[in-house]
Amino acid sequence: MKGIVFTEFLEMVEDKFSPELADQILEAAELRSGGVYTAVGTYDHHEMIELVSCLSKKTGIDSAELLRSFGTYMFKRFHILFPDYFNEIESSFDFLSKIENYIHVEVRKLYPEAELPSFVCDTSQPGRLRLTYRSTRPFAALAEGLIRGCVAHYGEAADIEMEDLSDGSGTAARFLLTRRDVPR
Amino acid sequence: MSEIEQLKRRLERERRARKAAEAIAEEKTREIYETNIRLQQLNSRLEELVRQRTVELAAARDEAVRASQAKSDFLASMSHELRTPLNAIIGYSEILLEETDELGQPAIRSDLEKIRGAGKHLLGLINDVLDLSKIEAGRMEIFPEMFAVADMLAEVRATIEPLVAKNGNRLVVEAAADLGEMCSDQTKIRQNLFNLLSNAAKFTHSGTITLGARRLPAADGDRLEFKVVDTGIGMSDEQLPKLFQAFSQADTSTNRRYGGTGLGLAITRHFCRMLGGEVSVESRPGEGSVFTIVLPAHYREPEAAGHAATGRQGLLLIIDDDRNTRELLEAEFAGRGYRVVQAMGGAEGLRLARQLRPDVITLDIVMPDVDGWSVLRSLKDDPELCGIPVVLVTILGDREMAYALGAAEFVTKPVDPERLADVLARVASSARGEGEILVVDDDVVTREVLRRTLVRQGWRVTEATDGRECLERLGQGRPAAILLDLMMPRMDGFEAIEAIRGQAEWRAIPVVVVTAKDLTREESEWLTRHAEAVFQKGAYERSELIDEVERIMVRRVPV
Repeated sequence: MKGIVFTEFLEMVEDKFSPELADQILEAAELRSGGVYTAVGTYDHHEMIELVSCLSKKTGIDSAELLRSFGTYMFKRFHILFPDYFNEIESSFDFLSKIENYIHVEVRKLYPEAELPSFVCDTSQPGRLRLTYRSTRPFAALAEGLIRGCVAHYGEAADIEMEDLSDGSGTAARFLLTRRDVPR
Repeated sequence: MSEIEQLKRRLERERRARKAAEAIAEEKTREIYETNIRLQQLNSRLEELVRQRTVELAAARDEAVRASQAKSDFLASMSHELRTPLNAIIGYSEILLEETDELGQPAIRSDLEKIRGAGKHLLGLINDVLDLSKIEAGRMEIFPEMFAVADMLAEVRATIEPLVAKNGNRLVVEAAADLGEMCSDQTKIRQNLFNLLSNAAKFTHSGTITLGARRLPAADGDRLEFKVVDTGIGMSDEQLPKLFQAFSQADTSTNRRYGGTGLGLAITRHFCRMLGGEVSVESRPGEGSVFTIVLPAHYREPEAAGHAATGRQGLLLIIDDDRNTRELLEAEFAGRGYRVVQAMGGAEGLRLARQLRPDVITLDIVMPDVDGWSVLRSLKDDPELCGIPVVLVTILGDREMAYALGAAEFVTKPVDPERLADVLARVASSARGEGEILVVDDDVVTREVLRRTLVRQGWRVTEATDGRECLERLGQGRPAAILLDLMMPRMDGFEAIEAIRGQAEWRAIPVVVVTAKDLTREESEWLTRHAEAVFQKGAYERSELIDEVERIMVRRVPV
């Protein structure tokens, strides 16, 4: 998993909770990296699961809920860090349909070894987007947070239903987005 | 305390993260460097590959050029091989036609006419193929001359009228009164008009064929427009685009119904373009066709690419073994703005001519290494050098020889008996029918046709099979004229002429060259004049020599 996910996660913990809490979970978690992350490095995704789980224990908030919040937070950060990817994109459906064939293509140019999840889009019904997430890692909740962050970024209103496709492991899910603010 | 501990831990994590980031940055930098090296290697390998391919392509191109040359050589020699037997077919059929009239056997007359007609048709086709092969090989030359357009049209009309009448057609000539003169290649223009008119006649029945001509004045030079209009079968829009391509006719059935090679219009277009003009066509099926040729009234030679001359007056090559002569000539011409290069002998002269492509060469005849005649022949045999005018600058006494080396006339095969009679009447000192004609040709059928044609006109004839036998015959008696073939075994026609002119007692015998060889402009010049001009050392007026060179230069160096 790319280091930026870890550094952004820890910054979020420092921001939303406290630097003390961030230190505590780093101390409590069993991390091969020793809790040392740089945005340009690559780390075992199990460390992220461990960190979220520690945070959940400390805060009493459900892990999935934490991942969703982190996803929403990270989408905002993406917009600040990589504004170029947002050029000429007018809506959340537009953005989400471009992840697979534009954003991930660009990411692979910089990080050929990156293991990216797949986001298959179906926009055959107007006002609806069916997005299927598949990954080797259990981060469907993180994906949902990102999707919610995206819809919020474009100031839209949409119902988002998630259907688990991985027997609860979180490695695959189908999201059905229905715009509430445009006539079908 | 715990806060300080916490900050220390945090600082330690940040420091280690920074170091990890630096290590990653360093590794990426090395990767980029190594990738660049690999790209450079790939690039140089590609360049090597491109060089190799370029060499291969150049070889392939040379091979293609050689193949194309071989093809045009083959076509030229095939045409020669085909014309020789055709000469026999046409010649014999003409002899037999006259004999049937005398013997009162009109029954076979039409059969003989068919043989003669088929022979002439075949000759036309062979001429077309040869023309096209010469055009494609870039060897078709332009012979510009000044002529009155109206006279040319009158000749064309007289020749084509019987053909037009065959299909019950009427020929109308609409020539403007102000056609005036034209300086261009009359033979090629005539051939173009014959092509268009005979096509019109072929595809029109009981209709009208109009040959129109008018002068189109223009500030940048007048043009002449020739129109051939017919009321024949016409062509559709689909048929028109392929019309001027070689070996293509309006459609394949045209060939079966109307005959022809499909070369005529291709040749017409080539000729028009060579003369600086164009041919175009408009047509409607069932209504007829209009072919229009527009040509400049004054043909201008295209400027040679990569012309060596940069000086105002061009480059002069002086070939002479005598140093004083060279220096004298150089001073004379250098002072007038020419660039001058000297060669001390024939071999050096030829080398410099090939290397520098001078605009004019002055040539001495008597030189120790390679004499002037050999140099002249080498120059004229070389297709790249044959166009360079040569001025002979030679010692007294050579002048006669130089003039005499030329033949009096030449006639091309198949021989037209009337033309042969005219030529002989003009050149032979004896009156027609008195005296003996020596026929020199290695082809027995050609000799036979010539002998019978001449005997019919009242001449006595002796024969020789090649140049050497010709000289033996001359030793036995002096003929009134010699009819001489050029391409013969043992001793060819060129050598025979030189030998004949070398003997004082034979020098005056008129030689008429009868050749199936397709003469180049240079060979024609060789036969008729042998050099642009001849001057004698010590005897010429300086101004004459200068005038001559300047005349040539003005013609060659574009202002």
